[in-house]
Amino acid sequence: MRKFLAVVKHEYKKVVYKWSFLLGTLLFPVLGLGFAIVPAIIFSLKGETTRIVVVDASGKILPRLKENLSSERIKEKARQAAKEQIGDLNASQEEKMRRGADQLASGFTFVDYPWAGKSVAEIRQDLNTKAATDEIDAYLLIPADVETKNASFEFRSRKGGDFVANDTLKDALNQAVRSQRLSDANINETLVKDLSQNIAFEAKSINEKGEEKDSDMLFIASLVIGMLIYLTLTIYGQVILGAVVEEKETRIAEVLFSSARPFELMFGKLVGVGLAGLTQLGIWVISLAVLVGVAATQGGAGDLLTGLPSISPLMVFLFLVYFVVGYFVYASIFALIGAMVTTVQEGGQFAFPPIMIMLIGFYFCFAVIRDPNSDLSFWVSIAPLFAPLTMPVRILAEMPPFWQIALSIFLNVLTITGLVWLASRVYRVGMLMYGKRATIPEVWKWIRQA
Amino acid sequence: MSENVASLSVSGVTKRFGDFTAVENLSFEVRPGRVFGFLGPNGAGKTTTIRMIVGITIPDEGVVELFGERMSPKLQDRIGYLPEERGLYKKMKIVDQLRYFAALKSIPKEVADKRIDFWLGRMNLSEWKTKKTTDLSKGMQQKIQFISTVLHDPDLLILDEPFSGLDPVNVEFMIDVLSEFKQKNKTVIFSTHLMETAERLCHDIILINKSKKVIGGSLREVKESYGKNIIALRSVGGDAVLSDKSLVVSVEVHADEKDIVLADGADSQHLLRKLVESGATVTKFEQVEPTLNDIFIEQVGGSKSEPPA
Repeated sequence: MRKFLAVVKHEYKKVVYKWSFLLGTLLFPVLGLGFAIVPAIIFSLKGETTRIVVVDASGKILPRLKENLSSERIKEKARQAAKEQIGDLNASQEEKMRRGADQLASGFTFVDYPWAGKSVAEIRQDLNTKAATDEIDAYLLIPADVETKNASFEFRSRKGGDFVANDTLKDALNQAVRSQRLSDANINETLVKDLSQNIAFEAKSINEKGEEKDSDMLFIASLVIGMLIYLTLTIYGQVILGAVVEEKETRIAEVLFSSARPFELMFGKLVGVGLAGLTQLGIWVISLAVLVGVAATQGGAGDLLTGLPSISPLMVFLFLVYFVVGYFVYASIFALIGAMVTTVQEGGQFAFPPIMIMLIGFYFCFAVIRDPNSDLSFWVSIAPLFAPLTMPVRILAEMPPFWQIALSIFLNVLTITGLVWLASRVYRVGMLMYGKRATIPEVWKWIRQA
Repeated sequence: MSENVASLSVSGVTKRFGDFTAVENLSFEVRPGRVFGFLGPNGAGKTTTIRMIVGITIPDEGVVELFGERMSPKLQDRIGYLPEERGLYKKMKIVDQLRYFAALKSIPKEVADKRIDFWLGRMNLSEWKTKKTTDLSKGMQQKIQFISTVLHDPDLLILDEPFSGLDPVNVEFMIDVLSEFKQKNKTVIFSTHLMETAERLCHDIILINKSKKVIGGSLREVKESYGKNIIALRSVGGDAVLSDKSLVVSVEVHADEKDIVLADGADSQHLLRKLVESGATVTKFEQVEPTLNDIFIEQVGGSKSEPPA
């Protein structure tokens, strides 16, 4: 037992006392946060104002366009759109939207250009020159026949890639022309708008107790959990594989085997690396909890969390249980592979099948999210190898009956026992076989003989 | 530990891998306070035998007894084993590795730390204590591996090719350390290809070839059983006597002397008399023992195994 503990300590320190571990532990949340925030920041960066000349041959559109591009109107529009999508807005979101609208509105400066008496070709040439000499950024030619269906609007811009500005302009123009057409046809625009409003479609899932959950947030949270488990299992599986191959490649195994039992060495390795994984997960869970706690007391930001599915301490506990179960299932497979191969590269090739199985398990998560109570969801959350990935997602989506959780843990612990037994037999022989990779029949022989 | 109890006794040990018999019915004893040479060509079964002695594998037949007890995992703490192909963790500090190896031999950390400092000092490696393996030269790594083998002060030391890759200074140093172990009445077993080294260090030897014991016993006995029929001769004349097939089997002429192999049953003194009688001037007539190298080549040379290094 003392030697077993020595192995556990050794393997734990080997993983945790490394820069890469610290970096990974810190970086993962930062990266996660980054992926969520950075695109928003980049898109909210103010583009330079677009200096635009509008030549309105119809003489009716320009005032409407200018009005539509005013900041009040854009704000109003954004609010309308958001209302349709999200429902009631809370303060912080409205604030965000107002800022966004201001930016879009300030995106255009109308430049005066006397065009009376010039032909379209002349105007075009003129404005192209202006654009080339950087006097203006863009111009818009509005035809005289705006009422006709195939009236064509010419927009030329040096900043053709600024799709935010271009879209804003297109929307504003579209609306201006539509309003003009409606008023030309004597139709009340407000009435049309009111009548063609989208219906309110509120999607929430309910569980057997009749409690409601927000579907979108549930989907995202489930995905995050599934992804997190998949990633940690893959990463720590590879750590095991690397550690086993190192001891075989450097022939340290021979010294170790002359000091302790192979089973102690292998199982100690699994436990040590597993504890390192739990440490990392623990740090993430605690820091997330602290973050959520702080956010909740900070008011404003707390609103973001209201949509999150509630996660009880029992759930967190079950997630950790399934992490441990999943870890032992896959780590023992990786240890077995490590004892079979001769180099890390070779190990990488053989790591493909278990990683594939994990990936399939991860994909099953989507099926589980969509229908946590289907037969498929039941079977994949019970089945060995898949359960560690799918059951946590199912628990998050909807807590299954207790007997199903118990059955799934029981079956997977049984699987672990078998896998560890197999792995230890392969380990005891394979670690001392140098030179060439073992074939499957050879490994089978080791298992029977050892 | 009394002198008459063998520290290691291997009796009737056989190990098979499938159809291949790696070690067949091997028996020998090693006594405390002696250096035991385990000799044989590559593939003879040395490593397999050593692995059974240190408890890495279990014999199919026969018994390995250590210090009068049947081999068991608990006895592993009394053995120090330095395998031929050995390694260290590449990216780990030297001190951490040594601590781990000591812990696996049930040595408490405080004791281990003291011994680590002692041995690193003795090997002139103190300043490398917190360096990583990759920073060390091959020779240094080998010394670290040796330290890891002796940190727990084992009663039985098993070294597989301990001198390969060491420079002559370090070989001498290692030999000094081994004699210390011998003086403390501990047992040293080492396997080697270098017959000169074995001849210098070993009290007892065993030579195995093709899974079987060929010869074994004290160096003296082994040599005596081989060494009665070779004469180093420096003489002028007497060629007729040397071509007498009833006396001499073969003559090997060197620069200024000849190696004479006596015929079966021929007496060296009889040959000397004949030479003198024939009027030859004999300036050197010495009965020589064969070197271990000679014995090795004679026993193993005919086989297809690789020649000794």
